[in-house]
Amino acid sequence: MDVLLNEDEEMIRDTARHFFDAECDTDRIRAVEDGEERIDRELWQQLAELGWLGLALPAIQGGSEAPFAQLALLVEEAGRALAPVPLHPHSVASLALADAVERDEGGSLASSVLGDAAAGECLLTWAWSERLPGVGPDSVAMRAVPDGNGWRLNGCKRFVEAYDIADYCLVAVRTDAEGAPEDGMTLLLVEAGADGVSSVAQRALGGDYHSEVDFENVYVDGDALVGQVGSGWDLARPMLERAVVLNCAMIVGATRRAAERAFDYAKERVAFGHPIGSFQAIQHLCADMITWVDGAELLTREAAWHIEQGLDAALPVAAAKSFTNERCQMVLREANQIHGGYAQVKEFDQQLWYRRAAAWSMRLGTALEHRRTVAKALGFEEVR
Amino acid sequence: MDFTFSDENESFRAEVREFLDEHVSPEIVQEMRASAAGEGIGRLTRELIGKIGDRGWIGMSWPEEYGGRNADLIDQYIFEEELARARVPLNLGNFIEQAPAIMHAGTEAQKAYFLPRLVRGEVTFALGYTEPSGGADLASLKTRAVEDEDGFLINGQKVFTTRAEQSSHIYLMARTDPDVQKHKGISIFLVPMDTPGITVRPLWTLPGGRTNEVFFEDVRVPKDALLGQKNGGWYIGASALNLGRAGARRYCVYVSPFEDLLRYLREDEIGRELAADPVVQDKMAQLYCEARVAKLFTMRSLSMVRRGENPPYEISSEKVWGPEFQVRTTEAASQILGDYHQLWEGDTAPNGGSFPRQYVGAMVSTFGHGSTQVMRTAIARRGLRLPKE
Repeated sequence: MDVLLNEDEEMIRDTARHFFDAECDTDRIRAVEDGEERIDRELWQQLAELGWLGLALPAIQGGSEAPFAQLALLVEEAGRALAPVPLHPHSVASLALADAVERDEGGSLASSVLGDAAAGECLLTWAWSERLPGVGPDSVAMRAVPDGNGWRLNGCKRFVEAYDIADYCLVAVRTDAEGAPEDGMTLLLVEAGADGVSSVAQRALGGDYHSEVDFENVYVDGDALVGQVGSGWDLARPMLERAVVLNCAMIVGATRRAAERAFDYAKERVAFGHPIGSFQAIQHLCADMITWVDGAELLTREAAWHIEQGLDAALPVAAAKSFTNERCQMVLREANQIHGGYAQVKEFDQQLWYRRAAAWSMRLGTALEHRRTVAKALGFEEVR
Repeated sequence: MDFTFSDENESFRAEVREFLDEHVSPEIVQEMRASAAGEGIGRLTRELIGKIGDRGWIGMSWPEEYGGRNADLIDQYIFEEELARARVPLNLGNFIEQAPAIMHAGTEAQKAYFLPRLVRGEVTFALGYTEPSGGADLASLKTRAVEDEDGFLINGQKVFTTRAEQSSHIYLMARTDPDVQKHKGISIFLVPMDTPGITVRPLWTLPGGRTNEVFFEDVRVPKDALLGQKNGGWYIGASALNLGRAGARRYCVYVSPFEDLLRYLREDEIGRELAADPVVQDKMAQLYCEARVAKLFTMRSLSMVRRGENPPYEISSEKVWGPEFQVRTTEAASQILGDYHQLWEGDTAPNGGSFPRQYVGAMVSTFGHGSTQVMRTAIARRGLRLPKE
């Protein structure tokens, strides 16, 4: 038992912190937010060269085979820096593909795409939620019907991150509509620009874009199968758990930075002849902020560690996400309060952290949804 | 990072659990409850403490030269967790809280006398810090110790001196120089409670326990009752408090009302009906996450201390989060159980009537050993380096 970082973990955290501090200033963040490109291609390429796009992928796919907790630390640092690159969806999709390849399940497209994904030459994303967002199997209703060697897809996915800049999208569909929500699910790797696909990118609170993606009679070849037909939930469940933990890591990273900005501001800003950070009313806010974000960080790391060790992660993941969603919003709120009027001003940088970390806490399951999972794990009978 | 305990740790846990299952009878628990209510330490409890001492589990992480066995702090943490799990109302940590200060500042004669007796439970200390004029502002204390040829003459008063009625000694902080800056005129004395001139008066508390006022009237102690340097007591006191703070005992206290509530809602017939409400389940899930944070904060402090680090603010975070969580839990329990929550006793009282005791007792955590406000100031100043006004 030692919940602190070990040497390897400290190294990836420190290297990433150093890199993003040096490379990723707020001008770069604002340039992407205000620009047309929606990704910092140069930064993306740098991440590829550092081996970070394949950090936790197997070596045979061009990855570094780092344990999952190290990827979570990297993503935490990217979140802290508000790095304007789709590291989250790309990592989530590529790890799911790697799972399928390792199990030797599905078509050959997954393995041929993975090497390019690690090299930054192929950008991946994933599509899960439809009308009712969430991370349960019942969020997936879209049908895929067998057609020759492959499938015909009809339906609509929502809240797809980075779809407009992605090359491939891992899509969860139903190949069998009967049975429990966990049954009859299949994962398919769809080319983003395939015939019959249309998408509308919608600007979100965090300054990035989420697409609503329509599939109209889209043909997908059998080669695009990821995992096994009908048992997609076997791959999707760990994929969603990783997605949730990496999302928590981003929130924690950005929220801690937002809090640190407020602590610094409290030391500089003078009122009534004293730095406001010398007032106990402000000091006690700051004490709560660091305590809350530390709590979210520890829960997140515990969840990441469970995943890394191959332990049942359902409870720690849900605990981390429900706590992080709510507590980090509280930290952000107090950080704004300390900044006062400047918190609302666009040209002042604090809002960059506030909007993103808050927006990230709205993705991949609400606190309420994750607490239902926690309650179930505690042995309570499910009531809906 | 590693969030689990090793096989060796777990086999030690099993050993402790087996011992407690065998030796903690309902009669002993009853006796300890009575002891907390001011009846003194009973015979059965003393026997149990003796057996625990024989196994080397009191002060187990101390160096061997002082009667410990150099055990990993994790083992001590596990031992404390198991005591709490067995709901043994016995705080062995209190028995030896002052030992690190004696190891650090004591003379050879003091170490030789006190340390082996502490691990055997033969010497126990009450903590003589807080006075009627204040606890947080400890350095302003007024109890005086005046040196003369034979030793020191002590006059003054302490308050909230828990276990004073059952301790062999008091670890007393007193002013030895009133004419210097307040932190620099304080000394610590190790005073037998049967010294003439000491009077103990009980203060009965809401959860059914006892604390005390202790009065010192012309109490004469020899020179060798002084611990460390005269006028250097403040700095010994601070180090003793820090070393005593990395352990499982406190978080176990903070989360025990949640564990009791969870067990009632899962296992009791009425509890299960109440728990069929999704609103109740949501609240319990929220409290679970918060309890987990309390535990992780403790594990973090322990990890830091084991690495030889001195946590600048993390232990204070434990002392803000845990007690306030405990209070939130008892308040939530009161609104989930409603009428049942009031019952101290009777067949229909949930969990044998523990809930009202926990409800009125939880507040003690938010001000005992430093209020949560004092802790927040410490986090801000020591952890975040925010300036003093």
